[in-house]
Amino acid sequence: MTQTPYKILVVDDEPDLEHLMRQRMRRDVRSGLYTLYFAQNGVEALERLNEVPDIDMVLSDINMPRMDGLTLLAQIPNIAPDIRAVVVSAYGDMKNIRTAMNRGAFDFITKPIDFQDLRVTIERTLKNMEEWREALESRDKLVRLQNELNVASKMQQSILPTEFPDSDHCEIYANMEPAREVGGDFFDVFGLPGGKIALAIADVSDKGVPAALFMMSSRTLLKGSAIGAIEPGAVLKEVNDLLTEENEAAMFVTTFYAVYNPQTGQVDYSNGGHNPPLVVHSDGSSTLLPGTDGLALGVFPGVNFGQSAVVLSPGDLLLLYTDGVTEAMNADGEEFGMDRLQAVFADDPPGSTEDANKAVFKAVHEFAGETPQSDDITCVTVLQRQV
Amino acid sequence: MEISVDRANEVLIAKVEGRIDGANAREFEDALNGAIGEDDSKVLLDFSALSYISSAGLRVILLIARLLQKRNAAFALCSLSDPIREVFEISGFDKIISIHDSQAEAVDKIGR
Repeated sequence: MTQTPYKILVVDDEPDLEHLMRQRMRRDVRSGLYTLYFAQNGVEALERLNEVPDIDMVLSDINMPRMDGLTLLAQIPNIAPDIRAVVVSAYGDMKNIRTAMNRGAFDFITKPIDFQDLRVTIERTLKNMEEWREALESRDKLVRLQNELNVASKMQQSILPTEFPDSDHCEIYANMEPAREVGGDFFDVFGLPGGKIALAIADVSDKGVPAALFMMSSRTLLKGSAIGAIEPGAVLKEVNDLLTEENEAAMFVTTFYAVYNPQTGQVDYSNGGHNPPLVVHSDGSSTLLPGTDGLALGVFPGVNFGQSAVVLSPGDLLLLYTDGVTEAMNADGEEFGMDRLQAVFADDPPGSTEDANKAVFKAVHEFAGETPQSDDITCVTVLQRQV
Repeated sequence: MEISVDRANEVLIAKVEGRIDGANAREFEDALNGAIGEDDSKVLLDFSALSYISSAGLRVILLIARLLQKRNAAFALCSLSDPIREVFEISGFDKIISIHDSQAEAVDKIGR
């Protein structure tokens, strides 16, 4: 074996024991499996522990002068928290054995020492310690991963716009509540030539890191295409062709993209397999935007995306949302659904876009109750102001 | 989620029960890959007992559809409940995967 020997500290006030141990364990010591250190009482043991780094295991007698084994046990964690301790006690001394176990001893053996039993106990103790160290290492790795996820989450949140157009003609608000550290939903709101505004909402299949990566590239491609082409159908076609080029993982992203003209209220849109947005009128009634015969992006290359248009009347609210809203579940396994979404506004048409989003999130959370959120929840809301 | 497999008229029929979401999509993928044999050239997924499918589940359907397309094998779905059919319609997946009302109709269509 080429690994460094395990370091075992033997603590006993019987002077003969050192000689006996060295003799009985000499093969294991010579082969480089163990290195033995000795101390005659608790005080000496603590000194050894301070002198010799990385002692793996302590084998200690209980009754010793100056400092006994039970006191030593209580001290060990202060110096070396990962050390495994095994106590040696008189046969039948249950009281001391119990105390030792309660103070964190890993195991015990009884006097007179049966060296066969001692060898098995040492092996078992060291094996347990190895596993413990591996578990600690895994935990550290997990903590590191968790930290990286938190950074990724912050990056992802930071690309979502937080400032929205607010003019005489319109007011816009959007927000997302991710289900996990990194999510698959995204939205975008940005200015286009001629005072028009690009509106996008999208949901990548699945969640977690792969979805987040796909989301980042989808979002970048969409913005790039939106600036180059003005027709929403052409924008989605271009993004789809780029996304399907290399998509072995068969990820896809449902995307609703619209070009909104606040002056006229006209919304030209193309729906790539996304939930149909809702137009809420000032009296609380609402209608779903008809589809445009689209398909989720990334699924199939070369397909064309149709487009359609709707004109928002003053006071109308356009609500884009992801299926995290309509598919939110309660404890009975029921979905929030379209009817409940429409009901949010039926009796209480919202005064502002931020209020509208708050009302939707609140209704979803109240409906879900204790059931954990399984999908990202995103809403983008546009209000055509009364001029 | 449970999958039970049957064969009729050379069609492999996998009946999917329960729900498919992000938590078990991988398991669903492995189960389907395990159920579909090298020689199966006609595959039908019966969704009559499927209660929910998320986008993660749709992705698995897409993976299987692509795999079977590469092998020139037929692939279809049948007996979707209204909410499940809606998921396929909204995402546009009904345009690239054939969907039948009943198992009998589907087997008749893609079977021998």
